[in-house]
Amino acid sequence: MDSSCLVRVVSSDVRHNFLLYDLAAAAVLLLTPVLFGLAELNSRMAALPLELMPPLMGMILMTPLFSPEQNEGILETVRAKKMSRHIVTLLRLICALVLLAGFIGILGSYMRLNDCEVTVKMCAGAFAGAAALGALGFFAAGVSDNIVIGYMVSVTYYITSLFLKKELGKFCLLSMSCGIKGSKPLLAVTAAVLIAAAMIFRRICKNER
Amino acid sequence: MLFGLECRKIFRSAAFWIYCVLSVVFFATNYIGSYGGPLYDGVEGYKMTEDHDLVMSGATNVLFGEYASNKYVCYPFGFYKAVHLKESDQKRIADYLMEITGTDEKGFEGLLGQGTECHVMAGFQEQLEYMYEDMPVAEGFSYDRFTEIMTDVDNLLGGGSEYDPEKLLYYYGQVPMTEEECQAEHEAFIKDDRITGGFARLFSDYAGIDLAILPVFPAAFLTAADRKRRMHELVYTRNVSSCKLVFTRYAALVFTMFIPVFFEMIAALIQAMIQYKGQDLDMGIMFTLPTFWLLPILMCTTAAGVLITEIFSAVTAIFAQVVIWFLTVMMSSNMLVGQIGKFTLVCRHNSAGERAAFLAAQDNFIFSRFFWAAVSLVIIAAAAAVYEAKREGRFNGFKLFGEGGLLRRQA
Repeated sequence: MDSSCLVRVVSSDVRHNFLLYDLAAAAVLLLTPVLFGLAELNSRMAALPLELMPPLMGMILMTPLFSPEQNEGILETVRAKKMSRHIVTLLRLICALVLLAGFIGILGSYMRLNDCEVTVKMCAGAFAGAAALGALGFFAAGVSDNIVIGYMVSVTYYITSLFLKKELGKFCLLSMSCGIKGSKPLLAVTAAVLIAAAMIFRRICKNER
Repeated sequence: MLFGLECRKIFRSAAFWIYCVLSVVFFATNYIGSYGGPLYDGVEGYKMTEDHDLVMSGATNVLFGEYASNKYVCYPFGFYKAVHLKESDQKRIADYLMEITGTDEKGFEGLLGQGTECHVMAGFQEQLEYMYEDMPVAEGFSYDRFTEIMTDVDNLLGGGSEYDPEKLLYYYGQVPMTEEECQAEHEAFIKDDRITGGFARLFSDYAGIDLAILPVFPAAFLTAADRKRRMHELVYTRNVSSCKLVFTRYAALVFTMFIPVFFEMIAALIQAMIQYKGQDLDMGIMFTLPTFWLLPILMCTTAAGVLITEIFSAVTAIFAQVVIWFLTVMMSSNMLVGQIGKFTLVCRHNSAGERAAFLAAQDNFIFSRFFWAAVSLVIIAAAAAVYEAKREGRFNGFKLFGEGGLLRRQA
C-alpha cells in the first residue's frame, strides 16, 4: 500500500472525524496549569497532575476511534472500500497514542522547567495510565458499538480511581501519588490487552475485515 | 401510557443497566465497604467553635509563616497550588500584618525574626520555610475588620486559600472535644438521630457523588437514541406535544434511575438494623432524607444531559457534565462536613455524626434542594422548547461535523 495513501487517510480522518476530540484533549492540557500549581513540586506532588490529567486526554482521544462507522450509511460505504477497516483503526490508534505522548511530553517538560521533580520514568508512567483508561473506553465503545457506553465505562473507572485507590490496588490510575509500586507496567499491559481484545472482538463477532 | 412506554424503553437500554451496576458497585465499595465494620462510637475528636480570638490567632500565625516564605498554599480547584506574590503585594500583606498585630515597621521586623526555620524539599530544590506560634493580635482588634483583611488577602492570592472568610472557622476554629462533649455527640446520634438519621446523611453524601455524573449517560444515550436509530422524523410527526413528550421522557428517566438508589437505601437500612439490633431506629428517615437530598442532584444532572444532547450531541453532554462534576466535587473535597452553601448542588457531610454541624447549615441545605429542583425544571422546559424548534424545522442542533456542520469543508 502506498504510504501517501495512508497519510491521506490519516489527515482526512483527523480533519473530518477527530479534530473536535484532539482540541478537547489539548484543552485538558491547557487547563492543567489553571487547576494545579505546577512549580517546585516534589516527586509525590508532581505525580498528581501527571496522573489526573493525562488519563482524561487518553479517554477523550481513544474512546471515539470506532465512532465514525457507527453511522450505518458510513459503515456501508466503508465496507465497500478496498482498504481493511482494521488498518484504518490501527492508524487512528497510532495517531491518538502519538498525540497523547506529545501532550504528556509537553506537560512533563513544562513541569520540569518549573523546577518540579519530574523524570522520564514518571512521564512514561503517566502515558501507561492514560493509555489504559483510553483503551478501556476504546474496548467498551468497540464492544457496545456505542461511544456513550465507551465514555460511561471509562469515566466511571476514572472516578473509581479517585475514590477507591486502595481497593483497585495496582490497577489504580493514581499509583505514583499513592506510592503503589509495580502498577504502571501492569496498566501498560492492560492497555495492550484491551486494544487487542477490542480488535479481535470486532473481527470475530462483528465480522469486520 | 406514554410514561410506561418510555420506562420500558429505558429498561431495555444497555446504558441503564450499566448505570445500575455502577451505582450498586459505588454504593457497595464506598458506603457498605467503609462502614460495614466497627460501629460508629461518636468520637470525632474536634468541634468547630465561633471563638474569634482563636481564629484570628491561628490565621495570623499561618499568614506570618507564608509571608516570610513568600509561599502561600491555596486549593482553588481542590488541588494544591503554591502562590508566590510580587513585591507590591507582599508589601500589602506586611501592612495588613502590622495592622493586625498593632506594630510599626520595627516591631513587625522583630516579630518576623521569631519564626522557626524549616528546610523542606520543593521539587529538586531545598527551600527555607518559616513557622510561627503565638503571634500577638492587637488588643480590641475587631473580627469584622479581620475578615475584611482576610477577604482581601484571599483575593490577592486568587481564591481558594485558607483565608477565605467563609472557611476561617473551619480551618482555625476547631478545638478538641472534651470527654463530655464526645458523650453528648454520641447521645445525639443515638437519641436525636435515632442512629439511622446519621447514616442517612452519610449514605446521601456518598450517593450524591455518583449521582452528579452517572445519570448523564442514560440521559444522553436515550435522548440521542431517536436520531441514532433514525426514528426522530417519525416521532416528530406524531400527535403528542413536545412539552408532554420531553417532560414524560424526563420523568421516566428520573423515575427509573432512582430505582437502584431506592434499593440501596433499603440495603443501608438493613445494614443499620443488623449493626444496631434491638435499638430504637428511625425507619422512615433512611428514605425521606436521602430522597430530599439526592433527587434534586439526579433531576439536575439528567436535565442538563437532555438539554445539552438536544442542542449539541451526547458526547458534548458527557464532556460538559464531567467538567461540572470535577469542579463541583473536587472543589468541595477539602471541607467534607457541614459546609453546605445556598447554591451547593452536591452537598457533602461525610460523617454519621456531627449532627450539630449539619443542623447549623440546615437552612442552606433546604434552600439548595428547592433551588436545584426548580433549576432542573427550567432546564427541562428549555429542552422542550429546543425539541419543539427542531420538530418545526427551525433548528437542527449545533453540529461540528457532517451535513450542515460548522467545520464542514465547502466543496
